[in-house]
Amino acid sequence: MPPHSGPLLVDTNVILECHRTGCWRALTSRYPTETVEECVKETQTGFQRREPEQQIVEEMLRQSLASVRAVSEQDLAAALVREPLIGHLDAGERHLWAHALTRADAWILCGPDKASLRIGVSLGFKTRIVSLERLLHDIGHRSKTTLGRQYGQKWLDDWFSTTLFR
Amino acid sequence: MSQMLFATRVKALREGLKLTQDDLAQRLGFKDRQTVSAIETGQRRLSAEELLKAVQVLGTTVEAFTDPFVLVGDEARFSWRQTGVAPDALSGFEHGAGRWIALYRRLAPQVGYNIPLLRRSLGLSKDSSFEDAMAAGERFAAEFDLGDIPAHHLAETIDREFGILVLMVNTVNGVSGAACRLPELDAVLINRHEPEGRRHFDLAHELFHVLTWDAMPPHHVEEAGETSKQRIEQLANSFASAVLMPRAVVGRFGGWDNGMDVGAITSKLNETADALAVSAVALKWRLVALGVIHNSVARQVRDVNLRNNGRSGASQASPPLFSRRFMDVIARALDEGLLSTRRAANLLGITLDDLPELYKAHGIEASMDL
Repeated sequence: MPPHSGPLLVDTNVILECHRTGCWRALTSRYPTETVEECVKETQTGFQRREPEQQIVEEMLRQSLASVRAVSEQDLAAALVREPLIGHLDAGERHLWAHALTRADAWILCGPDKASLRIGVSLGFKTRIVSLERLLHDIGHRSKTTLGRQYGQKWLDDWFSTTLFR
Repeated sequence: MSQMLFATRVKALREGLKLTQDDLAQRLGFKDRQTVSAIETGQRRLSAEELLKAVQVLGTTVEAFTDPFVLVGDEARFSWRQTGVAPDALSGFEHGAGRWIALYRRLAPQVGYNIPLLRRSLGLSKDSSFEDAMAAGERFAAEFDLGDIPAHHLAETIDREFGILVLMVNTVNGVSGAACRLPELDAVLINRHEPEGRRHFDLAHELFHVLTWDAMPPHHVEEAGETSKQRIEQLANSFASAVLMPRAVVGRFGGWDNGMDVGAITSKLNETADALAVSAVALKWRLVALGVIHNSVARQVRDVNLRNNGRSGASQASPPLFSRRFMDVIARALDEGLLSTRRAANLLGITLDDLPELYKAHGIEASMDL
């Protein structure tokens, strides 16, 4: 499949996984990758909630991204009224969906958490959700480090076809 | 269900500011209170603009209306057992603890754990005697078949028979435990790093508060310890002692007073307390209450020699964080996509990488993908 040419929205999990597996540069050099301020904050040491933490230099991260979006209270309110389950997400995931709902362009979103996926489907955006594995495959990148299971296309397909609709 | 969150939050936040529906209608620019009433009963949806206006008018945040994992207004009442904790520190900890309880309240029914429709209570009042409280404790241990070491079966019994959420938690320094009452759920929090005997006593003590809350509402803050000057706390201690050390159970350990010197009594108290998983100090006063040893003898046995049941600061293993039921609810909610993993880790105050270990500690088999 040819690589998507529109904006790619990524959450904290994806940024951390790309840095862990060394594919961040490949991803961001081929996709106009965007995120929200809250996710940038969550990639910094002390906020990652991962162990061990990775050293991600904020300035370099910002430079590699096509845009880091600010999310207003109005955006959040609109998103939460539209889909209250967004309140079950962590701040970065919540802000990312709140931002996505303000856009009218051909964005796609990569965020592997099941709750985030459930909300995407509930909002009618199933076809805009992509796996990290698919994104890397479409640009011909082979990661030296194996991606976590939840970043794979099979995992995503299985989730959509079975778990979500059981 | 989710629309009802807005509804209940609007009502709770309005009542917290002591505003009438008319007051709020006027401030939000509605023509009459019926609109507010319809919002508060979930019959009318709040628009994003109205939500923001309500945030402004009620001086709060969007999260206060939309975050299901927080307790707001007067919906929860806590009673803390603590020693010397600064009010600000306790308030901050209470807010975090409220999130655990709110998390369980929200998610448990969605993953198949029903919160009991009815709650049970003890037929005791402020006028009850200490003997009444002890008799209730004895009956509790017998009727719920707590066995030869009641302390080992108490938490499971409270969970299974009463649907009370029991959580072993890391607390701020000085907090021993707490009882918490919500309209639809009761919870007990225990500092998991306290010595084993102390934890069990706290649990039985908080159980008393949960089972007598309406007749004897406990104070928001009380001093920890097996002795207290407040009557309700003394009743709770009497009940707790009898639950953990029923007469028949204590009787298995033979006589105490006939010719034993203070050193021998001290040693026997420590050994017996270990066997019953209680504190030696609590055992000493229980034996006095049962008339097994005389008060004058008990006063010769110095509490300092009973501290940690006579061990010199040796630390015992702490139980794993939270509880099996609580972590099972989290695991199921994550698996079904009802809660994000990062959100769970944030609420529990752990990393994503701690979750598999916590599942394992509770014997829960769950896939952990992130």
